[in-house]
Amino acid sequence: MDRHFDEELRGVKERLIEMAGMVENSIKDALTALKNKDTESAKKIRNLDHKIDKYEIDIEDMCVELIARHQPVGSDLRFLVGVIKMNNDLERMGDHAVNIADMVKYIEEGAPMNKITTIWSMADIVNEMLKDSVKSFIESDPLRAQKVCERDNTVDDMRNEVIRLLLTYMIEQPKTVNTAISYLLVAKNLERIADLSTNICEDVIYIAQARVIKHHAEERK
Amino acid sequence: MIIETAKLNLYYGKFQALKNINLQIKRNLITGIIGPSGCGKSTLLRVFNRMNDLIENVRITGSVFFDKEDIYSPLYDIIMLRKRIGMVFQRPNAFPLSVFDNIAYGPRVWGMNDKMVLNEIVERSLTAVDLFNDLKDRLKTSALALSAEKQQRLCIARLLAVEPEVLLMDEPCSALDPIATGKIEELMQELKKRYTIIIVTHNMQQAARIADEVGFMLLGELIEFDSAKKIFTNPRDKRTFDYISGRFG
Ligand SMILES: Nc1ncnc2c1ncn2[C@@H]1O[C@H](COP(=O)(O)OP(=O)(O)OP(=O)(O)O)[C@@H](O)[C@H]1O
Ligand SMILES: [Mg+2]
Repeated sequence: MDRHFDEELRGVKERLIEMAGMVENSIKDALTALKNKDTESAKKIRNLDHKIDKYEIDIEDMCVELIARHQPVGSDLRFLVGVIKMNNDLERMGDHAVNIADMVKYIEEGAPMNKITTIWSMADIVNEMLKDSVKSFIESDPLRAQKVCERDNTVDDMRNEVIRLLLTYMIEQPKTVNTAISYLLVAKNLERIADLSTNICEDVIYIAQARVIKHHAEERK
Repeated sequence: MIIETAKLNLYYGKFQALKNINLQIKRNLITGIIGPSGCGKSTLLRVFNRMNDLIENVRITGSVFFDKEDIYSPLYDIIMLRKRIGMVFQRPNAFPLSVFDNIAYGPRVWGMNDKMVLNEIVERSLTAVDLFNDLKDRLKTSALALSAEKQQRLCIARLLAVEPEVLLMDEPCSALDPIATGKIEELMQELKKRYTIIIVTHNMQQAARIADEVGFMLLGELIEFDSAKKIFTNPRDKRTFDYISGRFG
């Protein structure tokens, strides 16, 4: 029997998916702006972020109301708890996109420096991870989610490589320090987006299978 | 706004059961009335279709508007009122008649004897409560042979047969098990698209699940009236919170 409550849960899911779409776009836009050294986009991304913030408040509100009114149990409860966490994580990602967009100005103004191709490969992977994490939520697909989590280490390695490279540049050409620090912050923000995508996948797995995989909780049992 | 009360007081002899009730019921919503036993929920519900008139020594002051007309004004047509505002009771009170005759009862009272039309009314009413497919070959069997949940559905269908606008429900699920209760709640969600529903319930969770707006009553007073969301996430009055959180004592 399809309950009226199921309809309301679907409404929450749709809303979160819409928000995730906006977050994906704002990250993509921030990276494009960075690539093109386009300082104009920052404002647009900031505006989108305000919209994302409104969604966050709205979704949290919906979840609190449904918990209060329906006292959900089992997978319904896990779903709502999971959504509350994902909602937070998505909102944070939006902030990271704004941070990245804000760096464009400094990079544009700073001394030019050699290309750091690793940052672009990192950006590609992070984009993919986010896309797949959202897809795993849309399709309630814990297997896809698991695969995303496995890519998190790659991103961490890439970030370390970026840091190593930037350090070398800074030592060789001290006048690039400003630019290099900006890129460093970009790498840091990208790495955080990857972490948050991983969080989303952990929640997808928790919702689907009631398994807690974060902090390697299962291995430690 | 379909129903509105203003400074409504009700006395059973010297005992005041309703105290200065001011509330507004919106069309096509489910309004839940909650509160501890004896707080006046059923009394309030009976005010809306003047069922209290049947009780001796009842005195009412203030006004009750239905569709902007004061239903307690001397010339108001009570029979018509009870057709437009029907009541579903705690225990299914199916008549000891066939399924068909239960549903056709109201329309016949209102002078409808055309067999074709009655067939049509019975089919439409039973369909609305999701009983038609189940009972279409058993319309001649006694209504009392049905399960409690189906009898309750039948009682709702019987009301719908006279095309009311408001359904008053006094603890409509208290004689039902949780599964049957869930089904009646789903039915109410369907019905609210076309009717206004006011439900009295002891079961706070039920009010939380299905009501759009909720009134909390205590000792004859309407303590708080707001959206279900507000009442169950952030009630204004401490007494409401104490009641819905089970702290009441
Ligand atoms: N016919 C009556 N004569 C005198 N007093 C009455 C009568 N009906 C109800 N009362 C009193 O009025 C008050 C409100 O009764 P009411 O039945 O409306 O309460 P309720 O909230 O519906 O309670 P419950 O949850 O137990 O059904 C109670 O104190 C009750 O004893
Ligand atoms: Mg009662």
